[in-house]
Amino acid sequence: MAATSSAHAAQPVLGDVAARLGRPVTARERCLPVPEVFASLLPDGGLVRGRSVGCSGPAAWSLAFALVAEAAAAGSWVVAVGVPGLGIEAAGGLGVPLGRLVVVDVDGGPAVWAERVAAAADGFEVVLTTPPAGAERVARRVRQRVQSNGVVLVAVDPSGPNLGCDVDLATSAARWHGIGEGHGHLMARRVALEVAGRRAPRPVRRELWLPGPDGTVVAAEHAEHAEPGEAPVVPLGRAG
Amino acid sequence: MSGVPRLVTLWWPDWPLAAARVAPDRPAAVFHANRVVACTPAARSAGVSAGDRRRAAQGMCPELLVLDPDHDRDGREFDAVVRVVGELAPRLEIVEPGWLSLAARGPARYYGGDQAVADRIVASVSEWGAARGVPGYPFGVGVADGRSASAIAARLSSRRPARTLVVPPGGSPEFVRDLSVGWLRELGDVDADTVDLLARLGVRTLGTLAALDAGDVLARFGPVGAQAHRVATGRDDRPGSAADPPPEWWVEHPFDEPVEQLETVVFVAKRLADELVTRLAADGRVCVRLVVVVETEHGERSERVWYRDHGLSAAAVVERARWQLEGWAAQPGGLSGGVALVRLVPDEVRPDDGVQSRLWGGRSQADDDAARAVVRLTGLAGEQAVRVPAWQGGRLPGERYRLVPAIGADLDHPDGRLDLGDGPWPGSLPAPAPAVVRRDPLAVDVLDAEGVPVQVSGRGEVSAPPAQLVTGSTRQPIVAWAGPWPVEQRWWSAERARRVARFQVVTERGHAHLLAIEQGRWQVLATYA
Repeated sequence: MAATSSAHAAQPVLGDVAARLGRPVTARERCLPVPEVFASLLPDGGLVRGRSVGCSGPAAWSLAFALVAEAAAAGSWVVAVGVPGLGIEAAGGLGVPLGRLVVVDVDGGPAVWAERVAAAADGFEVVLTTPPAGAERVARRVRQRVQSNGVVLVAVDPSGPNLGCDVDLATSAARWHGIGEGHGHLMARRVALEVAGRRAPRPVRRELWLPGPDGTVVAAEHAEHAEPGEAPVVPLGRAG
Repeated sequence: MSGVPRLVTLWWPDWPLAAARVAPDRPAAVFHANRVVACTPAARSAGVSAGDRRRAAQGMCPELLVLDPDHDRDGREFDAVVRVVGELAPRLEIVEPGWLSLAARGPARYYGGDQAVADRIVASVSEWGAARGVPGYPFGVGVADGRSASAIAARLSSRRPARTLVVPPGGSPEFVRDLSVGWLRELGDVDADTVDLLARLGVRTLGTLAALDAGDVLARFGPVGAQAHRVATGRDDRPGSAADPPPEWWVEHPFDEPVEQLETVVFVAKRLADELVTRLAADGRVCVRLVVVVETEHGERSERVWYRDHGLSAAAVVERARWQLEGWAAQPGGLSGGVALVRLVPDEVRPDDGVQSRLWGGRSQADDDAARAVVRLTGLAGEQAVRVPAWQGGRLPGERYRLVPAIGADLDHPDGRLDLGDGPWPGSLPAPAPAVVRRDPLAVDVLDAEGVPVQVSGRGEVSAPPAQLVTGSTRQPIVAWAGPWPVEQRWWSAERARRVARFQVVTERGHAHLLAIEQGRWQVLATYA
């Protein structure tokens, strides 16, 4: 439109029209921020509102927490729907501010799950959930609600390799460091991450520390110490 | 009179324990976020005091009964005290369970002086307490000019034998002059950081603060400082900028069919609270004093005035409406029929100066949306299904955080429930924490290379290195392991004592689990997913 510089008088009218038509907004602008390590991997550089992201494989939950941490730190609320064993301390450790985390139980089948997700999508910007068995039947309703509310839906399933989301993030080949045979403790995990899905035209594969030895999530190539040596044995003492 | 109203305040310091009907000679304490918030006189004489950590308190008093906070019970039970005092003087305001205040002027004229009013309240409430089986808890009644001076007088009086303290008219500034600035935090007017800062700047007493220029204090500390200064000068009537709202701002819901279920009434109250708070917020205001009116089909009426210095959020309004309803229903002959009307009347509003959320630079749209979604989801799923984390502490992953109903939690100030206290627990496992914590631990077998179950001796020695993890019919080789890390819990209690040894194991496919062995049985407690 040529309303930008020329006719000042016409501007309010055109502005009004533009507002009514809705300015075309690019996917990149509708993004919630993600930690830097994911920005280069995701198709639009962030979590696009109204779309779904799948997290799967042995590091699925840590990945999901790390993925939403930046958005939550920037003020978005995160709701976990139908996730009975959510590791709250792990979420906090990966950067999710626990003051903006709400947990909603689902005490029923796919219909109840869909109802709760839909209700949660009305007020929270990020929804973490594990779709129950039989969720395909109600998936359309959930997807519509997610799209119309501009919510980011993160579907997490450690066993499912591919959840059919807009973007699928699959973890594999997890290797733990810091623990030996009878000594040390779990400290850092190196994992392969593959990005695919409908909105990810070229699958990308990358090695990550999830988490790294200092608790942060970084790309393995850029880690200063690509292989942290054998961890020192930390005596925990007898607790009483 | 200087325009500062003279108030009578009743303060019941250990109300949560009285509400739980714990006998005062039994050592017991209510813990929140791992710290004592209230305790019985017996626990206090054993050395326990508010603010102690759980371990310290149990160390001083091993037989201490540990109670969880239950605000609904506190609120519901306090309604009985409100009724007892309400019979002596109408129009009282409830600040929180255990704390109420009323204007002194009318009752003082009727009963013949401030002291007479205080004595009558003490007599009636003591009589009620004795009849209800909660005798012997200290409480106090204070009379002074201004809300804060009156509250301080009530707190001091609860430690006196007569249980009353009357500050003469006009005497409030002198009364508060030598008191520590710590009282500001005690009364909830000012946060701990500001109080610390005042103390570090050498302002240790309210008198020193009062001597400063009000304008300077406002310039340096903002609205919080201005409020602190008003308290210190004994001149706080109500928040400086408070005003009576336009009368048309009340909201109500008449029921076509009277409703018997309290849950339904609470649900409607939620909607009304939401509407009211949204309307006030659109105008940049918060409600500090609210009247909740409930009427039955038989024309019975319950009216309570609720006061909250920082303003009432929708969740706070709902919580109070619930206390009021449940307290009314619990009263003998209280609610004889269905509820026909609920009305919320904002009695006093003030501009939302953002004091209550200054940490985050004010409430955002996302915060408001989330708070509304919490109310909606709670209506849909019940309050036990919509929860937020609260720190509890412990050495097993399932103990460290618990979930509390979101509708009763302060979503604007989560720091209270998420405060980790004095740092890490000795003996808890180092980071990272497991991302999946099993509610019901999964029974498994751990075998050594020969296929023999692995055992741990009383001295913490492993019978053989763990080599296989057997879950049902699947067998996974263990490629790395660490442990045992023993935990002995509640060793002081024969029947509740537990001895658990923890292990971390990594299977061939890179899955890591936290296992525990207790009395020879292995379980998966959590998974590092």
